[in-house]
Parts: sequence; C-alpha cells; structure tokens
Amino acid sequence: MISNSETEIVSRALQTALDAGAQKARITYSKSDEELVATLNGEVDKVTRCTDRSLSIALFADGHYGSFSTNNVEPAALDAFIRKAVDIVRKIAPDPCRDLPDPQRCCHDALTGLELGLTDPARESVTPEQRIRAALDASVFNRRNELPGGCTLISEEGEYSDSIYETLLMDSNGLCCRHSETSFDYGVETTVEAGGEKYSGYWWDSSSHAADGDHSRCGREALRKAAAQIGSEPAGSGRYNMVVDSEVASKLVSPLLHALNAFSLQQNNSFLTGSLGKKMFPEGMTLMDFPRIPGQTCSKYFDSEGVATADAPIIEEGVVREYFVNSYMSLKMGVAPTVEAATRPKLMPWKGSGMRHDGILRLCGDGILVTDFNGGNCNQATGDFSYGIEGFLFRNGEIVRPVSGMLVTGNFLKLWDGLIAAGDDARPCMSKLIPTVGFAGVDFSG
Amino acid sequence: MKNIERFAVTEDQLRALVAEGLKDGGDWCDLYFEDTVYNDFLLRDSEVSSAGYHVDRGCGIRVLKGEKTGYAYAESTAYEDLVRAARTAASIASVASAKAQPPFRSMSSAQVRPNDCYPVRLSWDSFDCGGFAPFLKGIEAGIRSRESRTLKVIAMLSWSMSEILMYNSLGELTTDSRPLGSISVQAVFRQGGRTEMVNVSRSLRTGAELICPEVAEDLISRAVGGVDRLFEARRPKGGQMPVVMGAGASGILLHEAMGHAFEADFNRKGQSVFAGKTGTRICRKGINIIDDGTLPASRGSCNYDDEGVPGQKTYMVTDGILTSYLHDRISAWSCGVPPTGNGRRESFRYNPIPRMRATYMESGCDGSLDDLIASVRQGIFVDQFANGQVKIGEGDFTFYVKSGALIENGRLTMPVKDINIIGNGPQALADIEAVAGDLRIDESTWTCGKEQSVAVSCGIPSVLIGRLTVGGE
Repeated sequence: MISNSETEIVSRALQTALDAGAQKARITYSKSDEELVATLNGEVDKVTRCTDRSLSIALFADGHYGSFSTNNVEPAALDAFIRKAVDIVRKIAPDPCRDLPDPQRCCHDALTGLELGLTDPARESVTPEQRIRAALDASVFNRRNELPGGCTLISEEGEYSDSIYETLLMDSNGLCCRHSETSFDYGVETTVEAGGEKYSGYWWDSSSHAADGDHSRCGREALRKAAAQIGSEPAGSGRYNMVVDSEVASKLVSPLLHALNAFSLQQNNSFLTGSLGKKMFPEGMTLMDFPRIPGQTCSKYFDSEGVATADAPIIEEGVVREYFVNSYMSLKMGVAPTVEAATRPKLMPWKGSGMRHDGILRLCGDGILVTDFNGGNCNQATGDFSYGIEGFLFRNGEIVRPVSGMLVTGNFLKLWDGLIAAGDDARPCMSKLIPTVGFAGVDFSG
Repeated sequence: MKNIERFAVTEDQLRALVAEGLKDGGDWCDLYFEDTVYNDFLLRDSEVSSAGYHVDRGCGIRVLKGEKTGYAYAESTAYEDLVRAARTAASIASVASAKAQPPFRSMSSAQVRPNDCYPVRLSWDSFDCGGFAPFLKGIEAGIRSRESRTLKVIAMLSWSMSEILMYNSLGELTTDSRPLGSISVQAVFRQGGRTEMVNVSRSLRTGAELICPEVAEDLISRAVGGVDRLFEARRPKGGQMPVVMGAGASGILLHEAMGHAFEADFNRKGQSVFAGKTGTRICRKGINIIDDGTLPASRGSCNYDDEGVPGQKTYMVTDGILTSYLHDRISAWSCGVPPTGNGRRESFRYNPIPRMRATYMESGCDGSLDDLIASVRQGIFVDQFANGQVKIGEGDFTFYVKSGALIENGRLTMPVKDINIIGNGPQALADIEAVAGDLRIDESTWTCGKEQSVAVSCGIPSVLIGRLTVGGE
C-alpha cells in the first residue's frame, strides 16, 4: 500500500509547487510491484522483480502549463525538480484553457482505493516457490501426449506474473483519490513445426484475484491455436463475410474510441468529427462504458484528472452519444467536459445474445473467421484501414481450413454499417469487452 | 561529472554488488546504471504552450546461470537498495540449479574499439528552452505559407540525455552519455469536405544543433510535398503483384522481413524462420544487408550496447549468404561467437535482449529507381510507411503504406495510400529482383516495440520485389 510517509511526500510536493509560484497543481503518485517467472520449454528461464514508483505533476503557473515526472522522491531532489519545473513552465506561452477540473465533477468516493474490490490480499503471501509452480503449471511442453499428430513442438515460452498497482491523486483544489489493483497474469506462446513450416499460437489469462484465473489452460490453448494453423494459406482475394473472434475484436473498436476523443476532434483528425447526436452506425450497435463494476479488471472510479467516471452510452442504437472531452479540450472547444476516455467499454450483444463465435459463424453462413491480426493501421482522419489477418475459412457456419497471409481493407464506417451480429462472449479479463462480431461484404486480399 | 560519481557508488561497491549477485552460484552478473532526463515542448494551435520535463534514474542487476536470467532493479542508487536487488537477481541460481547446464561465460569485448557516434556540437543544456518556440513556430509558418489547405499543425520537439554506467563480473567498467533529439510534425489538410493527415519527423543522436534551418526546411518540404497526391490517392485493387520500394523509409522491409528473424534469441530458441540457416543462400548474389551501430548521429547507433559491448557494424547477409545473427552476450555464448553489440534495452527496468540498431542494405548496381519502375508492367510503388509487424515463426510480415502509386506499363499512375502489404520474409528476400544504387538511411523517429521500446533506424536503396500481397478493394 502507498504508505502514510509517501502520502506525506505527495502533500509536501503539492505545497512546494504552490510555494514555488504555481497557482494550481495536480500530483499523481503511482507505485507498483511485480514478480515474474518466465519459462522456456517447461523450465524456469527467468525470474524478475520490478518495483516502480513515479511522481507526476501537472503545473498551472500564471496561465502557463506543463507536465513533469520523476522517480526520485528523495526530498532535496524532489524539491529541486519541482522548482525547475515551475521555471520551465514560465518560459512557454500561456494557455487560458488549462485548468484543473471543476471539483463538482471530481471523484469523491475513492477514499481507500479498495472500493472496487480489485485488490487481492492473497498476493502478499504468494511465495517464490508458488510462483514457479504457477508458471510451470501453465506449460504443456513436458506433456507430449497433448501434441497433435504430424507436428513437432519447437518451443514453448510462458510467463506468470503477479503484481499490485496503486495510484494516489491529489490536487490543489483539495481532491484526494486512490486506486489499488492486483493482477495475476499468465501467457504462453507456442511454436510448432509441420511440413517444414512453423506456426505459432498464443493464449493468455488475467484476473485481479488469484482464485479467478484459469492459467492451466494457457499452454493447451496456445498449442491448440498453433496446431490449428498448420497448412494455412491465403483463401484468394474477394469479398467475404468476416467474423472477428472476441479475442481480437477490440482492434475494430479502438479506432472508434480514438476518433471520439476530443484531442482528435479538435485537430480535425477524426473520421467522427461532427457526429455527436447523429446516427453514424447501424441501429443494433450499442457501445456502453461501464467503468465502476466491482471486481472487474480495469474498472476505475476516476480518470487521470480525477474526474469521476460513470456508466454512459458511447454509441446508442447507432447514435453517437459521447465525445471524450477533458477539462482542457472542453475550454478549447467550448463544449461540456465528460471524461478523458472510455474506461471499460462494452459492445452490447445484437442478434447474437448468448452466442459465442460458433453461433455467429452460423448466422453469417460463409466467410472468413479472423482469429489474429498481423500489423496494419487506420487513418484517423478518414477511417480507412488495412490489416493483416489469420484465421479460418468457413462455409455453412463450419470451419473449412486455416488461412493466413491475407489482408482485410476497408473503411470503419462502412465496415460497421455491415454489422450482422455481435455475440455475448467478451472475455472479462480484457479491458474492452468486445464480443465476437460478424460483418457482411468485407474486402480481403490474398 | 564522472558517471561513477553521478551514481554515488565506488568501484569497491560495484565489485561487492557483483559478488552479492553471484553468491548463490550464478555464472555472470552485470549492473546497468541509468540517469535519463527527457524534455519536450509542444506546439498546438500556433503556440508552444505545453512543456514536459521527466527524470528517470535507477539500476538494473542481472545474474545469469547458464542461459537462465535473474533480474531486478532499484529506482534509487542507495547501496542498500542495490544490494536488495542483487539478492533478488541472485535467486535464479538456486531456481535453475535443478538441471545441470554448462556455466555461462562471456568473452571480453576489450579488443573491439568503441566508436564515438554522438557528435554533439551544442549541448542541449546550454540551449535556453525559450528558444525552442520560434523554431517550432517557424515550421508551422512554413507549412502554412506553402500549403493553403493547411488546417492544423502540431509540432513537438523532444530531447533526452541518458548517462549510463555498466559494470560486469569480468571487471569491465563502461560509461556512455547518449543524446537523442527528435522533432515530430503532424499536419492536417482539408480540401473540399475531405481531411488528410501527414506525419513527418527527424531524430538524431546529436546536440541542440539539430535546431537549425536545414532541419526545419526538410520537415516543411516533406510535410507539404505529397499533399496533392494524398487527395488524389485511392485504394488499389488488392492482390499479389510486383512492388517497387523507394529508397530510405522502405528499410522497414528489412526490419520486419528479416531483421527480427535474425535476432539471435529467436534463433537460440529455434523459433525463427531463419533458425539454422547460417551459411546458406537466402537471396541473390550481390546483396549485402547490415545492422550497424556505428553510423554517426544515427538514432539506432550506440557507442556501447546495454551490455557494455562496443557498437559494431554487423553483416547479416553477405553476397546473398546469411552470415551472422544479431547477438547479445547470451546468444553469442550459446552459438560460440563473439557478441555483436546488439544487447539493448529500453531502460534499467529491462534485461537486455538482441535488438536491431540501424538496419540497411548496401546499394546495388541495377540502375536507378526510374529503371526499376520502368521494368514493371503492372504493380505498385511505395515510399512512405506508418508501421510494421512480423510473426517470427511463420516469417509473415506486414507494413502499412502511407503513400505510393500504381505502376502501369512502366510508369507511375494513380496515387495510393492506406494499404497494408503482407509477405513472407524468406520468400520476399528470395524475390528481390533488382537493387538500385541509391541507398538512403531514413532519419525518422523509428521505434521498435519487441517487448521493449528501443530507438532504431533503417535504410535501403530502391528495390524491386517480384511478388507481395497488397491490400485493396
């Protein structure tokens, strides 16, 4: 936990900033501790301990603004750092739009950081031996009977880590809020060889409580995914229905969230400029933000300005309901502030309630199931995108064969306009709850 | 200030820390002290109204037992904190001891002469930060004066100085002072109801002499140079076709298609598509591909890597033959070769792993870019990129094209943009049909994200690849 003496350091730093000439300031003190065990081919390969702390300070001095950070919180060094920061801030142009958020909008119910139930006290008693056992339990390298026929296991890399991350945010308006979260993470990457070609598969799991993770599945799933790609090749260029597995579907939502951020909108660098209140997406598409669900990874009561988060529709029945506008952009654009970003966005099921990707495949009939993306990008100004993919060709809702070496290309507005269904299988361990989604008429090259 | 004084440690303490790390039976211990100061100034809406100043300081301690790694770091250089980190790292020896393995040994790198790759003429500290504003404003003014369709300009100047001290169980004490200055410009243009965005940047390991009219002019001319093409550009019809890659930024091909697969950790583990292929022909005769840590001022250069090994020029491919992987100390020991100076890390928080530096291909003798374009009946030319990625085992790589043009009957026709290109590393190398004589190293802010973010650069002469898959409609 962030100790009383560390809290005192933050309070003192805030006062030093004001004494040095800043009229307002915000300090965010972050602290984390992580223990990691990596395995290679069923043996321990690496043990690591990471202990971090960082003090970030936003300074508002005579209309000037700057953001600063240091990991040296020794009193004399911190004092010198803050005074230098105030000196730098005064040398740049003033910006009347910079200010702390209105205290009325700020979070006043994150007093201990434990309110969301994301901290597992069991982490404190995890021993080095237990970490090694957890890491090795996720490995199947020494269980060759699980290896599919016709392939050779080339390597298996696994990683177990447990960590605690804590934040204390204070500002000169008297705001003080805290967040604390533990995390138990597993990931395995497996490479197999068949017919002279190599294929890799990856699986991971994460939970804020040790008892909630299913790590023993990681090695098996990674191996299954690698083996499933054996013999993959392009399916041929053309227009296909596309189903994107929940494991990777957030790739199709992130650009929307980015385009709804005021930093993009204010710079005219958004394909969703002028979209607030307008129907830009199909009627069945509803994207919510549920930032305050207790026990759910990545839930949080406040954003980086200390503004309180709240449940809110981002896109409702296809209509854009929210721009993400922080205090700065609010004044710059002359619009009401909201929060700076979505915390835990969830794409609601549509025509696919209760469905996993099997059900969505049946709804879509024929097409390509995307299980992984390989590179690519989106033009934020236009919404045009192009991504490498791998996955499976399916017909009549059934997998036919693996595909790789293909590209999917289009425009995000047009893509979402072709939404066929959204399932109900988002993985709770992910920060964005995006289920398997199906789209009609997407251009593939290969 | 000498770096050993900067970190308030003595040589006796360095030796004692290494001894502490080896106490449980480790074969090797090294210490990596870092003190980095990072500054940035941002121009937005025609004013430099945001600044940043960041300090990051600490020490990472690594212990090796065979090929196994123990790693811990302290965010202070107080001796008692360092001892604690050394003890944590030391624990690998007891964990790894269950199975007998040969002890790790690393060669001394004393015989390799270090370079001075950081030609600082004007210290960043000596430059008043108030002076940065006119430079950034000048860039915006230049863009607006030459391109009436300019809507918004964001320009950012950042610079960092990292003071490094390394010590290892061979008793090698190494110091390095690494500058890095970068200027990034994002410009948004509007024509009719359509907006398009351009990003350009320049990044070098120099001092504040980077703030000069020549660099401003370079950024301005590149920002406005392709605006007409941008508004004319369309999506091509996708599929497999010949691709001519223009000199410079197309070096991303080498980085993604082969550079990562040549990083020896992937080969030590047998994962790379190029594993076990040293000494075999992987592309046509005459092609030389290099990873170079010695280019003066290059973003990817290093006087020493992050294991204290001098930066070197490493031929990965010589006359079409795979001649060397890129090694850190662990993979070099595993392969029985000297380390190549590729052991790099993002900061003291990370253990070093094999990473690229400046990766490029030497000029060929197949004429000029125009000759390459003229030789293609139906294909595509590409010259600006956003990002790339590779799947190491499969060798499948992609890169995202920001600008290019169709080639029809040997001539450039319709501009294209926003397409991904995908290929397979070994196949793409084998399919290089022509290499022009116009090698150019690109000086943009390339950052490689393999587990950790590391500054790199890349370059290439214009090349013709017989067949890649191009995204499109």
